[in-house]
Amino acid sequence: MEAVDKLRPEIARLIAAKEQRRHKLAALPFPEKVRIVVQLQRMAAPILRARGRPVRVWRLTEFTTDERG
Amino acid sequence: MKKTLQVLTELERDGLLVRYAIGGAMAATFYVEPVLTFGLDVFVILPRAASGLLTLAPLYDALRARGYAEQGGCVNIEGVPVQFLPAHNALLEEALAEARETFYENTPTRVLRAEHLAAIAVQTGRDKDRERVRLLLEHAPLDGEYLRAVLARHNLEARWKQWTS
Repeated sequence: MEAVDKLRPEIARLIAAKEQRRHKLAALPFPEKVRIVVQLQRMAAPILRARGRPVRVWRLTEFTTDERG
Repeated sequence: MKKTLQVLTELERDGLLVRYAIGGAMAATFYVEPVLTFGLDVFVILPRAASGLLTLAPLYDALRARGYAEQGGCVNIEGVPVQFLPAHNALLEEALAEARETFYENTPTRVLRAEHLAAIAVQTGRDKDRERVRLLLEHAPLDGEYLRAVLARHNLEARWKQWTS
C-alpha cells in the first residue's frame, strides 16, 4: 500500500505532463500539424495494410523528398 | 497539401464549386492535437445544374481533365485523397457559410468553425464523432454562446446534453 501511495504523485506528474504536451500539440501551426499527421500515417500504414486496409500515405510537395512516405 | 488547396481554390474560382471548406478529422486537427486520418474531407456547395440536380459529376469531370482521377469516392489531388461531401442539410450549409478563412503556409483556405465541427459530430452521431466532441471540448477554443445557438437552431441540444453531461 505504501508503494502505491509513493507512486501516486509520480503518476499524477506523468498525466499532467502528457496533458501539457497535448495542449502544446493543439497550439502548433496548421502546417506543422499536417506534418505530424503524415508521420502518424507512416506509422499506422503498415499495421493497417497488414489488416487488409489499403491506405496511402500523403505525398506532399512542401515536404522535402526524404520526408515523403 | 499546399497544391491540393490551390486546386480547390481554382475549382471555386472556375465556378465548379460555389464554396468549399475543410471538415472532418483534418479540420479537427486545425483546432486540437493532430489526429490520424488518411483522407481530406472537403464540404462543398455545388452549383445547380441546368436540370436542377445537384451532382458531383461536373466536378469529377473537371478534375479528371486536370489529371486527378476519382477512385473509391475520393479524388487524389496532388498526393492527398480528397472526399467531396456536398452540403446536404441546413447545418452543413450554415457551417460552410460561416467557415473560417485561414492560410496554409501562404495558401488561402477555409476550415469549418470548431463549433460547427462539434455540432456536425453530434448530428452524425457515431462513436468516433463522440470522441471528436470530447477532443474539441478539451482543446478547441469553443465559443459557448455561439455553439449553444448552433445546437438550438439545428435541434441538437438533447444529444449534446446526453454526450457531455
